[in-house]
Amino acid sequence: MSWFKDLWRILRHDIAALIGGVIVLIYVLVAIFGPTFVHLDQEQDPTKAYLPPSPQHWLGTDALGQGVFEQIIIGTRPIMIVGVLAAVVTVAIGVIVGLWSGYVGGITDQAIMRVTDVFLTIPGLPLIIVLSAVIRTTNPFVLACVLSITAWAGLARAIRSQALSLRSSDFVEAATLQGVSLNNMIGRQLLPNVGPYVAIHFLMAITGAIYAQVGLFMLGIAPISGTNWGIMINLAMAQGALYTTDSVFYLLSPMAAIVILQVAFVFFSRALDTVFNPRLRVQ
Amino acid sequence: MVKYILQRLVLSLVIIYIVVTLSFFMVRLMPGNPMAALESQLRMQGGLTEIEIQNRINAIYGLQPNSPVGQQYLQYLGNVLRGDLGRPLTNPGTTVVAVIAEALPWTLMIVGVSLLLSFIIGCAVGQAMAAHQSSVGARIMTLTVSFLSAVPSYLVAILLLYVLTGIYRVFPTGGAYSVDVAPGPNLDYVLSVLHHAALPIVAYVVTSFGGWALGMKGSAVSVLGAEYVRAAESRGLSDRVITRSYIGRNSMLPMITQLALSIGFMFGGSVFIETYFQYPGVGYYMIQSVNQRDYSLMMGAFLLITVTVVVTNFLVDLLYPLIDPRIARPGARKRRDDTVDTDPSTDVIPAGGTIA
Repeated sequence: MSWFKDLWRILRHDIAALIGGVIVLIYVLVAIFGPTFVHLDQEQDPTKAYLPPSPQHWLGTDALGQGVFEQIIIGTRPIMIVGVLAAVVTVAIGVIVGLWSGYVGGITDQAIMRVTDVFLTIPGLPLIIVLSAVIRTTNPFVLACVLSITAWAGLARAIRSQALSLRSSDFVEAATLQGVSLNNMIGRQLLPNVGPYVAIHFLMAITGAIYAQVGLFMLGIAPISGTNWGIMINLAMAQGALYTTDSVFYLLSPMAAIVILQVAFVFFSRALDTVFNPRLRVQ
Repeated sequence: MVKYILQRLVLSLVIIYIVVTLSFFMVRLMPGNPMAALESQLRMQGGLTEIEIQNRINAIYGLQPNSPVGQQYLQYLGNVLRGDLGRPLTNPGTTVVAVIAEALPWTLMIVGVSLLLSFIIGCAVGQAMAAHQSSVGARIMTLTVSFLSAVPSYLVAILLLYVLTGIYRVFPTGGAYSVDVAPGPNLDYVLSVLHHAALPIVAYVVTSFGGWALGMKGSAVSVLGAEYVRAAESRGLSDRVITRSYIGRNSMLPMITQLALSIGFMFGGSVFIETYFQYPGVGYYMIQSVNQRDYSLMMGAFLLITVTVVVTNFLVDLLYPLIDPRIARPGARKRRDDTVDTDPSTDVIPAGGTIA
């Protein structure tokens, strides 16, 4: 894996990207192992509501006397699962459609690109909101599919233009002369060459999905059950956290959790960009 | 040129048609769809004859629920063409179009002003960053700008609300203007409107100018190394002329394309911003209607947001040939597609990730 070495070399010199990568890694670990180490007291005790941070509750307590820090840890997993699922769906559709359209060309390409244009123009967030108002999104996979309803189009367009330029390269011609099947051509010949591009878009798709899904939970459009950051903010807002100063940790902690993760993703993906795009490195 | 405009026009119309069709099928044909829900709800209430129930539904959605689906669809298309989107379920005394027509100008104002401000500030900052690439200031600026472009706008909105309306009561918590001023072209009204619009606009601009700055920086840097810039330099043209006519214009091109794409994103963001600032725009009504299960108003708001986005996109498309004359000539345009589109470094990832 030569690009892995490249990545490490870039990260060593780019502190912001290194910190970003480490933070993303921590979030992933928290999402996987967090719920086994941190438990949320099922007991609700209103006398302990809105406590300030203490050794027992690192970030204080919410309106029901439950720890805010514990809720944030437990809320990481559902957010990350939906974010990653949505990115997988987005990237899968985008790459398949883009490569196919770019490689096959002709009428098929024209038709696919017009459909892509439609999805690029329809405003994504309103469509997502309308869909999740009509469809039940309790299942994480359904929510992920709704979130990626328009997101794939941008990637498909970008991948298509990559495929167009790859089509005239020597190795594609060699493969054509060998008479490989369309599946082989797209999966084994073209796909590895757009890999780096896909990796960056995968990270951007995760941040986009987290942005949209937290927004849905905050507005109360996605079903409210369990614990995640969006629901925490929604409940905090509903309990008037804006107008009292004692719930400041309750309101701001989930917001900080989201901002830190989003910023970390952006800085980390910038490093990936430099790894895969040697021209940027020279600058 | 004419062919280009026609192409964009046809695409715009097709998109509007698709969205209208989509909204019909979502409200009528989904299992457990809102129209069937309303029908069973009216039946549960009792005391209504079958014909009365049909008439109620007809009043809300403008359709006869018993007629064949194809006929309903045609009826719906006809209604939309005549500008009739039914009545809001929660407030049947008015029409969906009336509610939205009142809300749209506010959204257009907020989104338009924010888009313009963030575009201008972002491009200026980006160009400055590109001009002084290696300086410490530019590095700090790049970090700051990347940070800001990664922060979701609704969190900035909550933070602004918390600090500026909760703790320090400097700004109003909702509405488009105070109740004690008379709407009209007087100074009090204008000041009140600005006072109410300030926070939503700030929330937009703070979170979106970073994306523009980064895009502009990348675009300007790639132009800086171009051969025609070196040629202009060696001809002894002044820095000002080179910056303005060689670098400025060429690095603006990808930004204008991006402008078209980001209009949809800005309108999407208005859903959050308007809801949190309780600003009576289309996004605010859309969320209200979703939470109150008012599907006729919801689809109306969605339809209108989409149409607005499509129309503004079309206008930007018309603007594009003015900035890039090559667009107007198809032969040159094909060459542009081959050279520009295949260059991944000029691709700008929109602020807020891939959900635009």
